[in-house]
Parts: sequence; C-alpha cells; structure tokens
Amino acid sequence: MTEIIVSLDNVCKIFDGAGSVRALDGVSLDVPRSQRVSVMGPSGSGKSTLLNIICGLDVPTGGRVMINGSDLAAMSDDDRTRLRREQIGMIFQTFNLMPTLSGVENVALPLRLCGTGGREAEDRAAALLERVGLSSRGTHRPDEMSGGERQRVAIARALIFDPPLLLADEPTGNLDSATGDEILRLLDDIHDEFGTSMILVTHNENAAAICERRIELLDGRIVSDTLRSQG
Amino acid sequence: MIRALAMIVLRDWGCHKLRLTLTTAGIALGVAAFFAIQTTNDALVGSLNGTIEKLAGKATLQAAAGNAGFSFDAVKTVRSTPGVKIAEPVTETLAATTLGGTRLLILGLDTASDLQLYNTAADRSDLVIKNPLVFASRKDSVAITSKLAERFGLKDGDKISVETSSGPAVLTVRGIFAASGIGDVYDGNVAVMDIYSAWETFGRGNRIDRIDISTDNGVDVDAVQKELAARLGPGIDVVRPDLRGKSLENSVTTMHAGFTILSIVALMIGVFIIFNSFTISVNQRWKEIAILRSIGVERRGIKLMFLAEAVILGVIGSCLGIAIGLLISMASMGLVTRITATVYGIASSTPELRFEPAYAAAALAVGIASSLIAAWVPARAAASLDPAAALRNIETRRSEPRMNRLRLAVGALLVAAGLLGVRATPPGIDSYIQATYSFMIQFGMIMLLPIIISAGGRVLRPVMDRLFGAEGVIAVETMARSPRRTAATVGAIMIGLTFAISNASLIQSLKLAIDQSLDKALAADIVITSSDQLSSRSNHFSDASAAAIASLDGIEAVDRIRVTTTKMNDREVALLAHDMGEFFRISPDLLDSGDPVRARELTSRGEGVVISNNLAFRSNLKLGDALTIRSPKGDVVLPIVGMLDYYRSEHGTIFLERSLYRRYWDDADVDYIFIDLKPGTDREAFKSQAAAALAGTRQAFIYTHEEYKQFAGGVIDRFFLLMYMQTIIAIIVAAIGLVNTMLISVAERKREIGIFRAIGGLRRQVVKMVLLEAVAISLVGFAAGAVTSLLNTYFLINTAAKVVAGFRLPFHFSFWLLGLAVPAVIAMAMISAWFPARGAARLEVADAIGYE
Repeated sequence: MTEIIVSLDNVCKIFDGAGSVRALDGVSLDVPRSQRVSVMGPSGSGKSTLLNIICGLDVPTGGRVMINGSDLAAMSDDDRTRLRREQIGMIFQTFNLMPTLSGVENVALPLRLCGTGGREAEDRAAALLERVGLSSRGTHRPDEMSGGERQRVAIARALIFDPPLLLADEPTGNLDSATGDEILRLLDDIHDEFGTSMILVTHNENAAAICERRIELLDGRIVSDTLRSQG
Repeated sequence: MIRALAMIVLRDWGCHKLRLTLTTAGIALGVAAFFAIQTTNDALVGSLNGTIEKLAGKATLQAAAGNAGFSFDAVKTVRSTPGVKIAEPVTETLAATTLGGTRLLILGLDTASDLQLYNTAADRSDLVIKNPLVFASRKDSVAITSKLAERFGLKDGDKISVETSSGPAVLTVRGIFAASGIGDVYDGNVAVMDIYSAWETFGRGNRIDRIDISTDNGVDVDAVQKELAARLGPGIDVVRPDLRGKSLENSVTTMHAGFTILSIVALMIGVFIIFNSFTISVNQRWKEIAILRSIGVERRGIKLMFLAEAVILGVIGSCLGIAIGLLISMASMGLVTRITATVYGIASSTPELRFEPAYAAAALAVGIASSLIAAWVPARAAASLDPAAALRNIETRRSEPRMNRLRLAVGALLVAAGLLGVRATPPGIDSYIQATYSFMIQFGMIMLLPIIISAGGRVLRPVMDRLFGAEGVIAVETMARSPRRTAATVGAIMIGLTFAISNASLIQSLKLAIDQSLDKALAADIVITSSDQLSSRSNHFSDASAAAIASLDGIEAVDRIRVTTTKMNDREVALLAHDMGEFFRISPDLLDSGDPVRARELTSRGEGVVISNNLAFRSNLKLGDALTIRSPKGDVVLPIVGMLDYYRSEHGTIFLERSLYRRYWDDADVDYIFIDLKPGTDREAFKSQAAAALAGTRQAFIYTHEEYKQFAGGVIDRFFLLMYMQTIIAIIVAAIGLVNTMLISVAERKREIGIFRAIGGLRRQVVKMVLLEAVAISLVGFAAGAVTSLLNTYFLINTAAKVVAGFRLPFHFSFWLLGLAVPAVIAMAMISAWFPARGAARLEVADAIGYE
C-alpha cells in the first residue's frame, strides 16, 4: 500500500472580516510519498492558503489535515513548528533568507534551532550548499547574492533535515527564465536523489511540468486533479 | 490631500496605540520636567524673596552682617543718620519647640515701640500686642500667629517650651496676631518676643541680626543707603530688602544650576523618545509610505504629514506635560524647601505654587519645538524613501553603512580635543568654555558609536554563539548590522551610565577628600556640635556650656569653634573661629603649606590666618599675602600663614583665632567643640559623660571622629541629591530607549521573525532572540558607558570640581559601581525587551512573511 505523506479531508478555511471569504471550500487531497504535485489556479483561488495549512502556519476552519501520519489539529503550536522544521522543507518565491546570516548560516539555522552544535550544523550545511552548486558563495550574505543563488540557498535550507515533504510557493516567480529553469532542474535532481514529495504552487507551466500530478484550484475548490503519465 | 493624509495619520494612531502613548508620554515627560522645574524654581525664589520682604515689613533698607549678627550699638548710629525715619532692631532665632517638632522663627522686636514697620493697613499684618507693657515686663512673653494657635490649640496663657543655647526655656503666649504680613512666613510658624527678652532667653548678648529701616518720605533712598554704609563700616551691609533676597538667591545657585541641568536632561529625554517613536512610525509605515508615493503623494506631502503629526502630538503632549508638571511641582515643594534649609541653611516659607501662564506658554512652545526637531530626521527619512525599494524583499534591503570615516575622524578628534582641554587648560579660563570639554568628550563618543557597536558585535558574536546558539548569533548580527537603530539606545545607555558612574565617582572622590581632610584638620577624638546641620544660625552653645564641657575629666586638649560667614568679593566665605593653639595641638598635620610652628604661634596670637586652598585658588592668594576680613567693627587685616585642603564651603574658608573673633564680632557663641582625650580615656564613656553634662541644658550632638565622618558623608549625599535624581532620570531614559529600540527592531524585522518562525523557530526561541539582542545592545552600551564615564570622571574631578569650587580632589573611579552596573544593565535590558519580545513571538507567521 502506498504511504500517504499529506492527507487533507474536506478542509475549509474561512477568513472572517467585513465580508467573510471562503478561501478553501471542502478540499480533500492525498499525496503519496515521493509524488510531486503542482497546484495551479488564478490569484485568490486558495493556493497559498492551501500551502499555509499543509505546513501548519495556518489552521483550517473545518476538516482534517494529516502530515506523515500526524493530525495537525491535535498538535500544539510548538509541535507544529517542530514538524515544519524537521519534516517539511519550505521554499518561497521571495527566498525568505535571514538577511543577517551568511549562506552557510542560513542553511544551518534549522539544525541549530534544535540544538545541533555550530560546527556540525555548518559542515552539513556546507555539504548541502555544495550539492546545490553554491559551495563558493556560502560565506556571503543574501544581499551579496543573485536571485538564483539565494533560491539555491533556500533549497539547501529546506533540505537540511532531509524532510519527506517539500513545499514550494512559486519557486521561480522571482527569477529570470534561465535561472528559473536551473532551479527546476535542481528540484528535479533532488527528487530523484532523495525521493522527496513536493507540492509546488505555481503559475509556471515549466514548473508544473516537472510534477506527476496537477491540481487546479478555483474559488477554494479543486476543479481538476490529473495525473501525468510517466514518460 | 491634507485631509486625506490627516485621515491616514488618525487611522494609524488607532492601530498603534502603544507607539502613540510612547510618543505622547515622551513629550509630556520632557515638558512636565521643564515646566515643573521652572515653576518650582520660581516658587522657591519667590518664597525666598517673599520671606525677606514680609519679614522686612515696610522697611526700605536693611542693615545686616551675615550669620554672626552685630552690636545693638549700631541702632543708635542708624537712627542718627539723616533721612532715617524708623530703625527697628531685630533678632531672628529658629528654635526647636515641643510643638510636635515644629521649628519656630522667633523674632525679637522692640515691642515698646509702635511697631509701625510691621503694622500698617497696607500689609494687614495686624501685629498688635494688646498690652505692650505687660508683654515687655514679663521676659517669657511671646506672641504667636493665629495659624500656629489654631494648629496646636494654643491660647493666651499657654506655655511653649523652646530650645535655647542654655537649655530649654518655657515661653508664655501673651498675644496672638493674624497670619498675614510677617505672620505669613514659615507657614505661620512665627512668634514675636520683646528684643530684650530674646537676648536674655537665647543668650544673644546685645547682638542683633538686622535693623529694619524706613526712610523719610521724599528722601533719596540710595543716598541714605550710602551714608549708612559709610557710618556703619565695612562689616555691616546696608541693602534694599529685595536685594537681600537676591543675595540668598545667589546662595542657591548650585541648586539652581542642578535644576537647570535636570530640566535640559529631561528635554533631551523627551526629544530622544519622540525621535525613537517617529522612527518606529516610519518603520511601521514604510510600505504605506511607498504606496502613498506610488499613487502620487509628493515627498513634501509625506514630510508634512509626519511634521504635522509631530505638531499635533506636541500640543497634546505639552498640555498633558503642563498638567503633570504642576502636580510634580506641588509634590516636590517640600523636598526643595528641605534642601535649601538643610544644605544651604536658608529657611523659607513653604513656597506658594502659582500657575504661571508665561511658563505654560514657554513649555508649550518647547514641547512643539522638541517634537518638530525630534520628528525632523524620521520625516526626512520617510520622504526620501524610494517607493520601489520599499516594496522590494527584505534581502534587497542592504544593511546600513556601518562606518563613515569622516564621522569617525570627527568623533576621535572631539574626544582627543576634550581630553586635551581638560589636561591643559589653565584655571583662569571661563567655566562655560571648560564645561564644553565634557560635551566634546561625550559627543565625540556618540560619533564613535558605530565603530564601538561594530567592534562589540565582533567580540560578542562567538561568545553568544557558544552560550546561546543560533538565536545569540542572530541577535548580535541584528544589533551590529543596524547601527543607526542600535546607536540611539547604545548612546542612551552610555549617557545613562556616564551620568551614574561619573557622578558617583565625583561624590566618592569628594568623600575621600573630605575624609582625608577630616583626618588632618579634625584629628579630634570627640566632636560635639550644637546642630544637626552643617551650619545653624540659631543653635549655638553658650560660652558657659562650652566651658562646662571643657572642664570634664579626661580631656587633653579642647578647641571651641564658632562657625559663621563673611563676605569676600560678594561671596559668603566660611569663617571658622578656633582656639588656634588648641586646633594645631589637636591636628598637628593641619597645613598643606606654611610652617606649622610659626603658623600656630601667629594665629594663636591673632596675628595671622590660615585659609583653605580653594579660597587661595579662587581669590589668587598665596602665603604671606595680607587678607582683609570685614567685621562689624571694621576690617581685620592679617597675613596668610598657612593653607590646607578644606571642603566646608565652595567659596572658601578662613580660620582665625576665636579671641580675635570675639573682639571684632562681639560673639562668644560656640558651634563645635573638638576634644582630644588623654591616652587611655574611653571615648564612649566620655560621650556619655558629655551628654550627661549637657543633659537638660541644651541639645547637643556628640560624635566620635569616625561618627562625625559618617555624618559629613550624609551631608554630602544630601547635597548631591539632585545629582542622584539626574542619575535616576538618565537610567529611566536608557530603559525607555531600550523599549523603543526593541519595538523598532521587532517592527523592522517583522518579516524576518516570520521567516524564523516559518523555518521552525519556536515562539520561545523568538523571545530568546529578541531578549538576547537587547542584552547585546546593553553590553555594548555598557562598554561605551564605561569608557565615557572614565573620561567624564577625569573631567569632573580635574576640571569641574576646580572650576565650581576650587577643590583639588583625588582621582577615584567607582569600579564597584561599574561592576554592579553589568547585572543591572542586563536586567534592565531583559525587562525592557520583554514586552517587544512577547509581541514578536505572537506575530502571525503568514502575515509576517507577507503572504498575499
């Protein structure tokens, strides 16, 4: 039986405000281990809300979310944070690196946050930076790096715990097409190497193309869920 | 557009109530301190002048001769002077009573006269004694104010016990007068006795404290004043009562200067808080500003928006500050009156507080101007914000430039120039010029803050990494990479510590100097004083009481001292009349310069004087110079035969033979008795013996040498009360600065904290990170403060003490306080950062990292 890494059951998210907005409306989704899923849809369709709920940054108004067998609703904020740190790698469109830390320190940060010693964490970070092709730029700070370099650092950081799940929000959205393609190739290689499940929120067809499965959202509902034949 | 921008500002206030409160509080605090200090000072000066004027009644001139008083014979001279209509002799005695510890100002007046000067329809003092003959014939008669009578339920025939120099005396109430005019001073704690009875009761011989003079209508008062001065001689001053008030005002100039500095410090605090608050505002609203710019609001509009906000907050904060200031004034009146009374020996009525519209207007203007000045830089920063850059990601916001070589060079140059000034300036240079050295050193250090922060970051990074892991590293890096934000707080901590440590060092140095001086100049085993204050106008031992003490068993040597003042170059110089031979016997190492054997010989014969080094320094005197001392019987001119470090008066001290003093001042009173005991005599046993000898006769304070040194230390602490207040204010500023900086830090790093949380940072790790940043800032502030306080202590001891008082002090740096400051600063940092840290931990991660 295929191991399910992400399981959403009838998940709803309603934002209360002047007029309440139903960002997710009864979304159910199972992502097996090693599967890559692209999530597409127009602005406001609920893509980012879906990602936030999967990584535990946000809590659903209704429904159930299971990550690697753990029910997020039953977890405390600290437990969700630990889950995010150790079992989910996150890649953002805007890279979201700590501006005060060097590349190596950024990559090592999640390890250090759970108590790993500085030397050990940075050795591991340096190895990962080498893996993403950035060994020579590890001592530089984000403001001294190009967009592509920053995204490589962000990918290395996401992989520091060798997580079973990678979440990427428009990973090529802030990059030129050539650099974007390089990043997609890197993600493809990582999948091949580590067997990591990936959920990619994207508008980019090229990004969607590296995924086996494609989900389309509209007004908070899954309107299309297709599996691409492996070829 | 203005209305639209105003609406945005108002909405922003609604969303950021804490920042709004901090800003308004900043303005209110500064204005309150400014207004309170001006109002209190005004009330104090008004009270001093009012007391003098009320006591003077209708007098147009007064003749007085310092604390010692002068002979009644002068009254005849005054009365015989053309142009003088009335001349009333007056004695003033401030006596302790049994009326709940109340001190009573007992005026000795010639009650047989019609007391016209104090009893006119104009001042409604109603000083009417029903039966002057009975009143004058009974020596225990006293008239009291109706206020005092009401307060203690006293009526005609009731008894009041008062302390006199020959023991307690019982007075009988034989008159009650209205608490207005002269009865209105000292909260109505005033009594009138017949002058002859007062002389006898208080052992004043026939000495009087002043003569109140009324001149004939139409005469030239100045001409009468000159004539009186010529007839009375140099030892007696003839002044208009209002100028006498001015003279007292001059005596409290040090305190006034302290108040002014306090007021400036408070305003600086206000400006600092407002600056920080507006910086927070700009940082919180950078995205909003970018949006406004991108939809067409000009740079000018953005700047105006912030400046207009500053003006509005300035008005609100100032009004609040004026109200708070008035309350502070009311609360501090008692304290100020106590300082003037206990430290300066000037008693006045409890100042009457008045709301002065002119001060309120000035405070309002100062508040608005401070707001505008403080908001100027943040407003300019907001206006010059590049909208495109402002909307970009945080990684593209480059760290602030850390070093500006010109700034560093100017900073280093200022510190060096300030130190050179302290080291090399000759004493004659203007005190204001010398005061700038401290400013140069501190301002130079402020300019060097970026390099200090950078160096601090380099030192702290590995330490914090080892001790606190990634949170420690991020904390240090955040501090070091934002020197603009960090410098304000590091600067506040630096200045706060500089105030605290250099003031404490100065006080310690002064205490050390006084300690050494007391060991040399007061080597007596026992010190007996007639008052618990450094100098008292009314509490003295009579010659007989002093002689009784001198005849006790076990005494090797006894020196009786009268402590008073004399005018020299318009300043009140301390005049200490000793039994000089005994003085030298008790304190053989007395002199710093001069031949002690010759000095003892000459001074004990009344043929020479010894002076303090600060008098020599201030008046440019040297050994062998002839010193002219004004006395009621004419000038006393004596050669200076010795000098010593002595710290009783910032204006200087003169030591002369007591028998000479008695001859020229007609004053046999004694204030201090120094006693050297025979070897083997037990000090405590002697103290008991002396206390028993004085028991029931009069109040006395008996100390061993060490106890007296402790008492002197206490007086110094009271004198420096204002400095302690400044220190407390400086510490409050530093704490507010830290809260502000941490709020800014959290506001600026909202997204960064969001990322930290998104990649797995726990809430408590966010708290830890923010607290550690505050600790890092405080440690760098501590390091900068340690260096600056060392330099400022050098200035205070080497320059300020000499300029202000001519004192030569040993250099003493308060390392123990510096050591204590480390945990204190860290604790203050943690407490100040707690609230911002909690706020940071509660950030909504998705919002913070800028998802849609």
